[in-house]
Amino acid sequence: MKLWGIFRFELAYQMRRPWPWLSTAVLLVFAFVSTRVAIVPVTLPQDFILNSPFIIAAVSVFSCQIWLLIAPAVAGEAAARDVHTGLHPLVYASPVSKTEYLGGRFLAAFILNAWILLAVQVGSLLAAYAPGANPEIIGPFRPTAYLAAYGLIALPNALIATTFQFSAALLSGRPMASYVGSIGLFFLSYPVTFALYLSGLGERGLLADPIGIMAIMNEMMSKWTIVEKNVRMFTLQGPMLLNRLLWLGIACLTLTFIALRFRFAHRTATDPLRWFTRFARAAPARDTAPVRIAISAPHVRRSFGFATHLRQALSIARVSFWLIVKSLPGLFLLVGFPMFLALVLATELQHWGVPLLPRTGFLLSKFMTSPLTQAADYRVVIPLLIVYFTGELVWRERDARLSENTDATPTPEWVFFLGKFLGLVLVLAGYMVSLTAVGMITQALEGYYDFELGQYAQILFGLQLPEYLLFAVLAFLIHAAVNQKYLGLLASLVAYFLIIFASFLGLEHNLLVYGASPEWSFTDMRGFGGSVGPWAWFKLYWAAWALLLAVAARLLWVRGREAGLVTRVRVARLRFTRSTLGIAAMAAGLIVALGGFIFYNTNVLNEYITKDELVQRRADYERLYGKYEDIPQPVRASTKLNIEIHPRRRAATIRGSYRLVNRDVVPIDSVHLEPAFYVDTRVTFDRAFSHVLADDKLGHHIYALAEPLQPGDSLTLDFDVQLEPRGFRNSGSAKSGAGMGVVENGTYFTSGALPVIGYQPLRELWSADDRRRHGLPRQVTLPAPGDVDPSVAAGAAATFEAIVGTDSGQVAVAPGELRRTWSDARSRRYFHYVSDVPINGMDVFFSADYTVHRERWGLPGAERGVDLQVFVHPGHTKLLERVVRSARASLDYYSAQFGPYPYRFLQIVEQPGNFLGMGVDGSGVVTGGEGVFQLDPHGDGFDAIFEIVAHEMGHQWWGMQLKPAFAEGGGVISESLAWYSAMELVKNVKGREALRRFMHFMREPNPWPAIRTGLPLLRAMDPWANYRKGPYAMLALSEYVGEKQVNGALRTLVQQKASSLATTLDMYRELQAATPDSLEPLLHDLFEVNTFWTFDTKKATAMRTALGAWQVTLDVEARKVVADSAGKETELPMNEWIEIGIFAAAEPGEILGKPLYVQKHRIRSGRQTITVMVLQKPARGGIDPYNLLDWEEGDNIERIEVQGSEVESKKR
Amino acid sequence: MELQIRGVSKTYSNGVQALKQVSLTIPAGMYGLLGPNGAGKSTLMRILATLQEADSGSATLCDPSLSSKQVDVLRQKDEVRKTLGYLPQEFGVYPNVSAETLLDHFALLKGIAEPRARREVALALLHQVNLWEVRKQKLGGYSGGMRQRFGVAVALLGNPKLMIVDEPTAGLDPAERVRFLNLLSELGENSVVLLSTHIVDDVSELCTRMAIIDQGEILLEAEPLGAVADLRGRIWRRVISKPELAAIEREHGVISTKLLAGRTVVRVYSDGVPGPGFEPAEPDLEDVYFSTMTGHIGRRPSPQVAP
Repeated sequence: MKLWGIFRFELAYQMRRPWPWLSTAVLLVFAFVSTRVAIVPVTLPQDFILNSPFIIAAVSVFSCQIWLLIAPAVAGEAAARDVHTGLHPLVYASPVSKTEYLGGRFLAAFILNAWILLAVQVGSLLAAYAPGANPEIIGPFRPTAYLAAYGLIALPNALIATTFQFSAALLSGRPMASYVGSIGLFFLSYPVTFALYLSGLGERGLLADPIGIMAIMNEMMSKWTIVEKNVRMFTLQGPMLLNRLLWLGIACLTLTFIALRFRFAHRTATDPLRWFTRFARAAPARDTAPVRIAISAPHVRRSFGFATHLRQALSIARVSFWLIVKSLPGLFLLVGFPMFLALVLATELQHWGVPLLPRTGFLLSKFMTSPLTQAADYRVVIPLLIVYFTGELVWRERDARLSENTDATPTPEWVFFLGKFLGLVLVLAGYMVSLTAVGMITQALEGYYDFELGQYAQILFGLQLPEYLLFAVLAFLIHAAVNQKYLGLLASLVAYFLIIFASFLGLEHNLLVYGASPEWSFTDMRGFGGSVGPWAWFKLYWAAWALLLAVAARLLWVRGREAGLVTRVRVARLRFTRSTLGIAAMAAGLIVALGGFIFYNTNVLNEYITKDELVQRRADYERLYGKYEDIPQPVRASTKLNIEIHPRRRAATIRGSYRLVNRDVVPIDSVHLEPAFYVDTRVTFDRAFSHVLADDKLGHHIYALAEPLQPGDSLTLDFDVQLEPRGFRNSGSAKSGAGMGVVENGTYFTSGALPVIGYQPLRELWSADDRRRHGLPRQVTLPAPGDVDPSVAAGAAATFEAIVGTDSGQVAVAPGELRRTWSDARSRRYFHYVSDVPINGMDVFFSADYTVHRERWGLPGAERGVDLQVFVHPGHTKLLERVVRSARASLDYYSAQFGPYPYRFLQIVEQPGNFLGMGVDGSGVVTGGEGVFQLDPHGDGFDAIFEIVAHEMGHQWWGMQLKPAFAEGGGVISESLAWYSAMELVKNVKGREALRRFMHFMREPNPWPAIRTGLPLLRAMDPWANYRKGPYAMLALSEYVGEKQVNGALRTLVQQKASSLATTLDMYRELQAATPDSLEPLLHDLFEVNTFWTFDTKKATAMRTALGAWQVTLDVEARKVVADSAGKETELPMNEWIEIGIFAAAEPGEILGKPLYVQKHRIRSGRQTITVMVLQKPARGGIDPYNLLDWEEGDNIERIEVQGSEVESKKR
Repeated sequence: MELQIRGVSKTYSNGVQALKQVSLTIPAGMYGLLGPNGAGKSTLMRILATLQEADSGSATLCDPSLSSKQVDVLRQKDEVRKTLGYLPQEFGVYPNVSAETLLDHFALLKGIAEPRARREVALALLHQVNLWEVRKQKLGGYSGGMRQRFGVAVALLGNPKLMIVDEPTAGLDPAERVRFLNLLSELGENSVVLLSTHIVDDVSELCTRMAIIDQGEILLEAEPLGAVADLRGRIWRRVISKPELAAIEREHGVISTKLLAGRTVVRVYSDGVPGPGFEPAEPDLEDVYFSTMTGHIGRRPSPQVAP
């Protein structure tokens, strides 16, 4: 009963404090806004139901994360208030048992937290049912969905988190330690778990997440189909359930441990590190205290000038620095987190097992820096720690009950403020030093010894530190102004959330979001590429604000006992001296001047539009010009360009012409033309015309021809395009369209800078929500393949010719065979590219200091061959050989299998930017980010680049020649076939063993975990189906039906659909024609429904026979299910031909040994025994050894137990 | 050198009126502020130590040696702090720092910028407060008395002209108390030392002037010796048994009762012989205090004693 009393007292005590209520309010608002504004479902392309169990559960998960950070005070107070306030001797000496005391306190904290978390469900409910919600996206009210989210997500989290917050506070005797516990949980739940997930542990890594964010979101976000997301009820199962049970167990054990360890005993020190620093603990000092004749203190000179104030500030900074550095969170920041980062680097500095070259700029910009406004990865803990440290520093003297002594000293407020701020600066600078160490150690371990210390200093201290410092000033002001520790933390966190979620609240301009700026970028090719300038202007502007905030912090700085608002305002007025006024005026002046300059750049020199306005324009565009979508327009038959690139001026001039042909059956009287946005375009025709419509805002122009263009006739359109930067834009220079593409080294722009003919349906709004809001008719995102007109013509290909001029030190690239290069008198270099074969897709243009590899490729007997060129950054030539080898092999094999390579050129170009991806923009061109060229396959490990290039080369057939219709299954036509081609190429060139290794990397859950539900392949839309399941199915088919037959079918498909768009049905028809009747059911299972086979070899034994052969007995289990798109699985009886394989012992370097026996057997559902004879000694064997049908690796093959000796002895 | 307090009032937000029109004139030397717990002593001290705001009134520090001659204590806080030594009633320490280090830090905060001078002063003060031997030990291990002496050292830094010590002897053992008071009195030779206490002996032993405060009001402002002398012939004592007490309290102006070896001794304020059994007593400062608190002398209205 005492427990009950303690519980009630604690509950009542905290209910009268402000923080439980404010936390509740913040959570309610967060849940409401994130449901309404759809922070979570923003990733859903289709319509979503606002109150679907998925949204409710997802909002609960994210709200738990927020709750974890804002509400630790509840548990901290319950656990450590008595010690903190010095009341504990009274409590400990009272006749209360440990269990009653701790139990009552813990229960109170738990119940209070459970109550606070209830606000999340209330917020979700309000978002769906309060006025303002769109009734179209409200589904039926399902109370169980809310109950499930609360009971299965929130309550377990309340228990787990309260346990750790409570324990941390109890052990240290400081309520604030609960924040440390919280940040620890947060760190485990997201950064650590995510790193483990990526490190190859896959779903097993998700077990490390104490509050289940990753476990739950991974399951729901990536594995549920859109249909499931709208209807499926949330329950705990599989990895989610395991995770919850594990952590509930750990929480219970922790509670028991804490209860056992806790003593009602006198506390001497409250140093959180005392378990480690026991030796340094303050020992009782012996008071000698003999009566002594007083000696008077010497008179020394005192000074109260600026120099003294600076010294005072530095002294406070030093004290503050050590306070943080010696605390557990400080050690975490300076040692623990950098060590974590080193581990992350160790696992993530690779792609498909190939190490990435640890170049300094790449390491820094990809792994160690991030803007304050983005909280997308593990570095989010740094701002959280800043909030915590700021609180500790602002409250330091008051926590030590020394504030009256210090406040009465003749030290101005600004010295305290500056000193503490400098202390934090030192800590953060220490963090930067740690990062430098981590970077250099990582580089040294990888054998990279070019430590560019200057770059470390420049990027970490020059670019990253200011991000954090700006935020620190804000946190200081908030803590000083709020003047209640927990509320200060809460308010700082809310401020941080507002910063990172600003765009969801409609604040998009960087002038409006504290600390925001365009991002800088650094790549080997471009360097900073002019990105630092805009960054710096914005940061200076925010630094001026920070100065103003600092003045405010000084005015509001609490000194002495007065905490009332009125008194503080009065005191602030007293402190508002002339110098303060001067500084404030200077800051305000800077804000106005810098803000004005920035505004002039972003909004006057350039056009600034918000997301809403952009959506509005796209809606207007469709409404106004959609009627022109199907009108006859001339088709581009050839392109001729003269491009002058001036890298140093960051400008380019394009003079060009299109030959436009009327391929229609009626005369065309007007040409619809859309020039690129934000560049100057001028247009003329080779005949009389009038400019009848010029809508620059929506980007649509109509030119009426004096004389209509007759069918079959052509005309020439001449244009003039100027690419020139005008100041900078709100988004900086990187993401601002064609006009900003020209830089000193690493120019990249596309034909997007050139005018296009006709209405562009791709510019229409596609999000269902946007369309509804703007009253546009609902659009089926993608039609089923059967609903597409099979004769729709493919987009027009055109011949291409370009003469590109650039500075003498650079190589310019445009699509085509390089005919000629020359230099002119002003030492500019010119490149003449031509493609007589019409090309399609996007044309891309580059200019940089490239290293060029050039060779001719030709099939024996071909007349002229292909001009094969590879353009890479001079420092990135390591991969050149491998890239060329793959390109050659692809050309050989694909030409032979799928039809000749139609173009006279093949260009592989390194595209500036650190991304790790390759792609195909247009015919004959493959581009790859700088990240790809940092792959460093030293030794003869897995050669990922061969596979990647092979895939992109596949797109020259699948995507460039065979063009998918805009319909479901389009990704199968392009991506699946491209990966399938790469697999066949690897099998043919490098062998089955290499294919096996390749497939192993394909099966990793990152980036695309398997989705068992969803649409069948013929209508596939999700990436796993396109990039993984499709290729697996094609490979299985080629193994069953025959490589030649399947490839032959694809070859026919290319020929047949040379001039029209293809759907999966076209492909399926050809595959059916190539498949014998006996395998029709398999084809059906692979493409028409979602079939999953599961094979498991339970036991494998072998016995030597009298004749010296080996008799192998396999005990196998087989299962086949079909899943529908709502997640329902139906088991089907099976009776199919499945491979059985027996293998010899593996040679070094092999995964599987030499196949001794691979034959198809009839396999039924369930368990069965299979016996085969082999001549050599078997080592391993099993069912479906190459994972043709069972796409999960693991249990198909087992080691064979040899029982031969017994048989032999009997024989004798 | 003089501190003039005029009409200072302070009401807390919960309605408690901590100071009511307090006016005092405090000359150089030791000045005792005597009053029961909750009388408003600490509030007044904190207001004078720039840590709290007064609602109304003024406080001026007049010092011919100061450049501006006069400092408005309530508004010119920075000026006050330059000449202020303050020892709060309660304070803590950073447990993991040595006395030497923390005192050095405070010396810098007090404006002693030169490191050598700072060290010299810090060591001298540590000697003076008798913490020299333990100067390198962590403050977390200090006893209450040692911490108190450390606080004194902090307050003494920078040779303050205005010294405010709030109940400094509360946690000290008798020897420490003696030494501490000696230290203060030395300081009182050329500065204003304002000492608040509820221990009468602290004042009687040291202070040249004193004031008695209760419920936010100054009841008496006097020199201790003079006040005691004024009472001569008006204090009477009588040894009684416990049951008699109620009747005596009803009939006489009892100012205090004490137990002495099992008997009760009452002291009574009376201009003439109060009655049989009473004998004249030699007044002390405690009698001044109790007479003031019971309203026989000073500004509190006299109690209605039954004739």
